[in-house]
Amino acid sequence: MAGLAASFGRGAMTNHFNDYINTDVFLVIGSNSAETHPMAMKWINEARNKKGAKLIVVDPRLTKTAAHADIFVRHRPGTDIPFLLGIMNYAIENELYHHEYLVKYTNASYIVKPEFGFKDGLFSGAKLDNGVFTYDKNTWQFEDDGKTIKKDPTLQHPNCVFQLLKKHVSRYDIKTVSEITGVPEKVYRKVCETFAATGARDKSGNIIYAMGITQHTYGTQNVRAIAMLQLLLGNIGKPGGGVNAQRGESNVQGSTDLAMLSHLLPGYLGVPNATKHTNLQDYIEKETPASGYWKNKPKFLVSLLKAFYGDNATKENDFCFDYLPKVDGRDHSHMGFFQDMYDGKVKGLIAWGQNPAVGGPGAAFEREAMKKLDWMVVVDLFETETAAFWHAPNVDPGEVQTECFLLPAAFSFEKEGTVTNSGRWIQYRYKAVNPPGEAKSDTWIADRLFKEIRRLYREQGGAFPEPILAMDWNYDKPGHEEPDIAKIALEINGYRVGENRALDSFGKLKDDGSTACGMWIYTGYWAVDQELGVPNCQRRSTEDSGLGTYLKWAFSWPLNRRILYNRCSADEHGKPWDESRALFRWQDGRWVGHDVPDFNAKVVPEVSAETPFIMLPKGHGRLFANNLVDGPFPEHYEPMESPVTNRLSKQQNTPCAAVFKGQWADLAKVGDAKYPYVATTHRVVEHYQSGAVTRNNPSLVEVCPWMYVSISEELAREKGIRPGDEVWIETARGRIKALAQVSPVVKPLKVNGKKVEVVGLPWHWGYQGIAMGATANDLTPAVGDGNTKIPEYKAFLCNIRKVQGV
Amino acid sequence: MAKGVLVDLTKCIGCKGCQTACKQWNDLPATIPDFDNNLTYPADTDAYNYTTVLHRVVEKEDGQETLRFAKRQCMHCQEPTCVTVCFSRALVKSPEGAIVYDEEKCVGCRYCIIACPFQVPKYEWNDALKPVVSKCQFCFDPRGKHDRIGHGMEPACVNACPSRALKFGDRDELLKEARQRISSDSKYVNHIYGEKEAGGTNWLYISDVPFEKLGFRTDVSQTPLPYYVHDYLKWTPTVFLGGGALFAALHFYTKRRNEVARAVEKEEVAE
Repeated sequence: MAGLAASFGRGAMTNHFNDYINTDVFLVIGSNSAETHPMAMKWINEARNKKGAKLIVVDPRLTKTAAHADIFVRHRPGTDIPFLLGIMNYAIENELYHHEYLVKYTNASYIVKPEFGFKDGLFSGAKLDNGVFTYDKNTWQFEDDGKTIKKDPTLQHPNCVFQLLKKHVSRYDIKTVSEITGVPEKVYRKVCETFAATGARDKSGNIIYAMGITQHTYGTQNVRAIAMLQLLLGNIGKPGGGVNAQRGESNVQGSTDLAMLSHLLPGYLGVPNATKHTNLQDYIEKETPASGYWKNKPKFLVSLLKAFYGDNATKENDFCFDYLPKVDGRDHSHMGFFQDMYDGKVKGLIAWGQNPAVGGPGAAFEREAMKKLDWMVVVDLFETETAAFWHAPNVDPGEVQTECFLLPAAFSFEKEGTVTNSGRWIQYRYKAVNPPGEAKSDTWIADRLFKEIRRLYREQGGAFPEPILAMDWNYDKPGHEEPDIAKIALEINGYRVGENRALDSFGKLKDDGSTACGMWIYTGYWAVDQELGVPNCQRRSTEDSGLGTYLKWAFSWPLNRRILYNRCSADEHGKPWDESRALFRWQDGRWVGHDVPDFNAKVVPEVSAETPFIMLPKGHGRLFANNLVDGPFPEHYEPMESPVTNRLSKQQNTPCAAVFKGQWADLAKVGDAKYPYVATTHRVVEHYQSGAVTRNNPSLVEVCPWMYVSISEELAREKGIRPGDEVWIETARGRIKALAQVSPVVKPLKVNGKKVEVVGLPWHWGYQGIAMGATANDLTPAVGDGNTKIPEYKAFLCNIRKVQGV
Repeated sequence: MAKGVLVDLTKCIGCKGCQTACKQWNDLPATIPDFDNNLTYPADTDAYNYTTVLHRVVEKEDGQETLRFAKRQCMHCQEPTCVTVCFSRALVKSPEGAIVYDEEKCVGCRYCIIACPFQVPKYEWNDALKPVVSKCQFCFDPRGKHDRIGHGMEPACVNACPSRALKFGDRDELLKEARQRISSDSKYVNHIYGEKEAGGTNWLYISDVPFEKLGFRTDVSQTPLPYYVHDYLKWTPTVFLGGGALFAALHFYTKRRNEVARAVEKEEVAE
């Protein structure tokens, strides 16, 4: 998501699932839609069947998605950047990019400071202080005349972004990419031809990705490469185009929006820093950009504080800004948190619908860390591996001092509320059945937990009771045990203080305390549709005007816009790039179209064309992004564990990787003879995430009961392994057992002239549930991306050995 | 009008939604099948699985391997051999074309299992008390709780399919549609599996890979199998009842003879 926000301004899928029917060419990379998003696959296949769309699947494994591909490409795990930069190089060399789009809608014409440079795999500004690598971004800035950035609309200036990009990607020629990725040149050329053809103004190319792209030490840059390729080909903002990040859980978009991340407040407002932001004014001055839609940030933050603290939040007390939790510069992401736990700095854990004992990187390490806790509360449907860590195999319960609680939670069909899908649609779900036994909805649990904590603070005091006592918390529904969902929804949506009506636009939010809003990007989702008589998120009208936008089905944030950055679907003068897919058209002095404008529709097209990416300060899509820690352009580095040296530079790994301490961050050497095979983790359609639910469901267990490892027929022959044999998978961090699936699902690749075997491991198993099996994440290393700290689950080294004496 | 399902293997994504929906709808117990290298679980239809989705690695024309998935269940023959051989009338064909099994009438002879040209019905071997034959009922159970098509609904598997690989409808219409799909897209092989196999089945398959590569039996006769067996099997009730009468007569004869012999013995002892 960080890569998307850096490129376009918002960390979300640009289009939506139904829009896939408008696509001409799909490039699915690092995603297995058929298994992980079967409903997305339905729309992919609709486009293929109805209008002959082409499907390119890039994956180390022959997945169920790849089974349907027109072109299936096996590439080595961790080599997405060369694969994508090579397509850019091909498009530039053959002038297949969308020139007009580049000049008008991206920062291709911006001129970068002459000091900017790139050498030996590093960008200018590299610094090493006390062993910590950082970039000084001063040289990554644009030249300006004090007010405006210097541009060259002809794209010829040697230091304009386009020329710098051209030079940067020129090293990724077909032969080089083929050698790094293991993809035969002929196949790769065909991919380049097919996808770069969508640079034509009347063609739409759609790139779909998922965890195969993000879970790398350069995951953010992988996303950047995708975003840049789409900007280059003019595929953003168009029907059938876009960068479509298919998220890993049904409501993970909703949880990200509502700030289930350590560095964010709801609605993508940054968490204040204890030293940097001493008061509200400080925060506003330092964090509000001068231009772009984020200049309204103070309105969103003050409204959020009003939602949190109600009448207690006044102008005089900074709207209780001091009560917000602050970060302190340390790493509070998943891996940083578990490191702190292991070091004894974290005393308690509430694991709410998360199962890190199976899902975390170096899961065995995370189970060790849990033993250091004083207490742990697990809120889940079943006794998960996390809940049961104290009586896991090889753990003596007598030696674990942690006090453990298990609160039974209701399943999604046993409670009501909204779910936000990858395509940003906020859809209301009603309760189908009551939860069994003592299980309760999450809102019930949160409500009672908060009230009890507040009672204890009120009666017993504490270190800092004010933030808890000042909290505005009134969600009771008289006569009902469950909190009132309508009250919660109204607060998230936003309202004028003193009124009980949901606002229809975040444009109406104020920074003077007269409005309250729990999350500004959702404003309007609870406003009542006058025609249908229900809140927008409860709408179920299947009427459509022809391009699959379904404007009266549920609500899409922001403001029911279905395709983000949709100003880019038409040229400067408002003429659609493709008449058959005209999302908007400037006609008789106004815009007509099929979507809600993601731009100022009140001004003439030539003016809105100046800032089509309204969330970015300069309003242009970023081919060159100077706000990430690891570089303005993506560059190929090897995964932290790799069988080969970096073919392109002396810099083997990304210098900005987050590496953690201890045995679980131990890494194999480059080309380590002890661990010669490349492993990657993946999911299967039968199981969900850590298997906490699916491995407790008998009919889902039946359709996929056994933990397995996919190995190639060649490797099986070499090692004397037959199908179904039990094998050891060994890494520098530990080993697990699994049954061998011997199949062309994986095949050896030729990388830098060397044969490299690839091994696939599903990660759904653990020691609880009906179907038990080894946990693949006991093998994954605790290393992560420098921007997001997302762990490198998708590429590491292992050895395979038959279990003897069975 | 016979109902049927058209299975388009080019659309199947192997999600097994049909298989789980079948299990849920029919209240079938779940098992833990053995490991299967193709990840087909269970590897074939069994006593508790009316359907399973076969996963196969197949070679395409260009020599590259790919995956294909094929839902397997009772084909619901138009001229069902299993019905013909079932002398207890536990298997009958409904007006909708569903071949329906009634466990109350089944005597456990398992002729149906041997007779099926597609090797679909399975026997509940591990139930010692009241084992039954198990196969897809086409969600036809008008008097019971598992009915769908008798109430005008599509079968549970079709309803669950997210990729529109399964289509329920009148067999004639589905045949037309299958022909139309094959003629409008060169990717399909020119073969509607089930159009003629075993004299025609209500489940029809189209594919972009020859059916034999997917493990479908392509050596099934195109003549309805009951034609071969009918002349002989029509005597089954006669043979069965006649034989029964004969054995009963023999039984009474033997019994009477023994009784007479014992009476004679007694008389002899008394003397």
